[in-house]
Amino acid sequence: MHHIAYISRAVRPLTDEDLHDLLTQCRRDNERHHITGILFYSHGNIAQLFEGEPEKLEPLFARISRDGRHSHVQKLIDKPVAARSFSDWSMAFHPLEPAAFETLQGFLLPHHVPAPPSSLTIADAMLIDLVRLAVFGGATPPQAPAPTASLDPA
Amino acid sequence: MPAGVATLQGPELCYGFVNEAMETVLGGPAPEGTPIAKHPGFLAADLLDVMQRVYQSGRPFIAKAYCLALPGPDSPNRYYDLTLEPFRNTDDVISGLLLFAVDVTAQEEARQQAHRLEVETRRLDTRLRVLTETVPQITFTVDAKGHYEYVSPQWYYFTGQPPTAAVDAIWPLLIHPDDRLRVLYQSEAARAAGTGWSYEYRLRRHDGQYRWLLSRALPEQLHTPGEPVFWHGALTEIHDQRELTEALRRGEAELRFLADSIPELIWTATAEGFIDYYNRHTGEYTGLTQQELGPTGWINLLAPNEQAEAARQWVHSMATGEAFEGVFRMRRHDGQYRWHIIRARQLADGQGLRWFGACTDADDQHRLREVLQTQYNELARTNHDLDTFVYTASHDLRQPLINLRGLFEELARVASFDDPQANSMLHMVEDALAQLELTIQDLAATVQDQRGLSAPAERLDLRSIADEILLGLRAQFVQAGATLEFDLDEAPTLHYGRANLRSILHNLLSNALKFAHPERPAHIRVRSYLQQGQPVLSVQDNGLGMVVPSPHSPGFRPFTRQHTHVPGAGVGMYLVQRILTSRGGHLEVESTLGEGTTFTVHWAA
Repeated sequence: MHHIAYISRAVRPLTDEDLHDLLTQCRRDNERHHITGILFYSHGNIAQLFEGEPEKLEPLFARISRDGRHSHVQKLIDKPVAARSFSDWSMAFHPLEPAAFETLQGFLLPHHVPAPPSSLTIADAMLIDLVRLAVFGGATPPQAPAPTASLDPA
Repeated sequence: MPAGVATLQGPELCYGFVNEAMETVLGGPAPEGTPIAKHPGFLAADLLDVMQRVYQSGRPFIAKAYCLALPGPDSPNRYYDLTLEPFRNTDDVISGLLLFAVDVTAQEEARQQAHRLEVETRRLDTRLRVLTETVPQITFTVDAKGHYEYVSPQWYYFTGQPPTAAVDAIWPLLIHPDDRLRVLYQSEAARAAGTGWSYEYRLRRHDGQYRWLLSRALPEQLHTPGEPVFWHGALTEIHDQRELTEALRRGEAELRFLADSIPELIWTATAEGFIDYYNRHTGEYTGLTQQELGPTGWINLLAPNEQAEAARQWVHSMATGEAFEGVFRMRRHDGQYRWHIIRARQLADGQGLRWFGACTDADDQHRLREVLQTQYNELARTNHDLDTFVYTASHDLRQPLINLRGLFEELARVASFDDPQANSMLHMVEDALAQLELTIQDLAATVQDQRGLSAPAERLDLRSIADEILLGLRAQFVQAGATLEFDLDEAPTLHYGRANLRSILHNLLSNALKFAHPERPAHIRVRSYLQQGQPVLSVQDNGLGMVVPSPHSPGFRPFTRQHTHVPGAGVGMYLVQRILTSRGGHLEVESTLGEGTTFTVHWAA
């Protein structure tokens, strides 16, 4: 099991429609490849951490790096981990029309993002806190650790 | 398309022979014998007028590219070369005109197109010239042999060369000697290979200063095969950028060198809080490379129970911009944890936000402090134990002593002794008991005064303190028949610990009374004055005097007594000296046996 985290800049701001498409497409693809993790998006800032088997992860990151929708892709970590920390793949962002997203699987409002799973090392959990801060700014303090079922490793 | 032919006869110019092509021009069949004016077809009035003139003058005329507006929605204008040729009858009199019409539409359209292109080209050329002569760059065109076809005026402004200068010959001479060969080689190689170039070199400016320029050129993209190829290019002055870049690079290199030379853990982080540089010592200390440490891996180096707090604090600093500071244990390459002070501050300048941090090894200080703290605690406990012991001892000793005295007095009152020595022995026992009581009291006082050594200082009035003490010494005072003389006006107050001052004054005054000369009434003179701006107190008596080994460091030891016939424990002067030393002062003694003693107290050093 490996995980990879990166930050990048969208080439142009993503619309609700873009975000919707991205969410449904990534969830479908990631489910097929047993890739889990979380993506943050706000005002053109993108950050993602995803985990899975290295042979699935490497081609995915290569594809992400080549994706013309964003640039300045900066890989932060790429290393083996003891276990999976996320049970599925989700996205957190501020849509213009949140109502249209509420029922969508894998969608989170930024202030509903739970604290990093406790199965991560403190250094990795801090990394998630820092990228969340970098994407959303200081306005959304991390939630108290919520031991919800969806966060526990499957 | 064949040429149109028609004959026009007579002064009326009546149609004669008209071929098919001409009928197209005329827009239909021309009935023979009809004057052309009656059936002009598409021919305009001005042409009919010209025909008449040709007929009359007999001089032929060719109307070139004459435009005929053929009717119909999609028939465009057509152009004809119309030839009007008079013909003569047998009498050599002009009897008609021959009309030829050659369709030149294609040629005419091509010509008009060429004309439009020429106008457009001229416009573009003008624009290009204005642009090339307005931009700050020097622009040029050079051929494959290195001959400059065009050099923009900026070259002349820059080099200061006259417009008549031979550019080909002079240009190489203006290149910095260190760059010249390289530039000539690179440009020739590029021209030989048919490629563009981009290189930097120094060119001499009009003021003689060499300036860095960037030369870029590309060969013509569209060129006719067989024609000479030209390279078009521009020279941009990059001197300031280059110097700035060089300065930045040097500054960065120097900073790196500096950071790498410091035996501390130095690092920088991005605005987001990801470490992007660790100095060499970090690698040596941790035994890990920058890749192994990663952007947040430093957390893993901290003691496990300190990681969460450090991470929380770091995220907080990133969110607020507040400086990061903390004391943490960091793991060395050999697994040993050492205390470090970790500090980081953010720098916001034109290059954006960055964090600069350092981890200072404070392990030795930390351990030293721990050792000192332990020792301090031990000392404090020992001291307290000692106090308790002395207090307990003096208290526990005093009670039996009081009992003993009571019993002894009772015994002395009721018992009768036969021995004539008994009375004096009784007195000696009594004295010894009194002596013992005094010793115990003094011991207790010593311990109590020790505690008061560190009492806070306050402004004290010497006279009122002295009066309080004299009240306590009234019995001795009366017994010695003493007189006191105060002279405190020069320094009437003193900044000192109250208990300490009382203790010092009490000992000095009681000593002066205690050691009074038995043959004369005691006279004590107390003076307070300034010596070199510092307060000094002297107590002078006319008593027994004493032996002083060295007046500046009298060296009083506890339980050392000079006059054994006078009761006392021998701790008084020892105590005075201790108090003075601990507050930075000292004591001086001058004494003559049998005449008197003067104690001089220097409160401050």
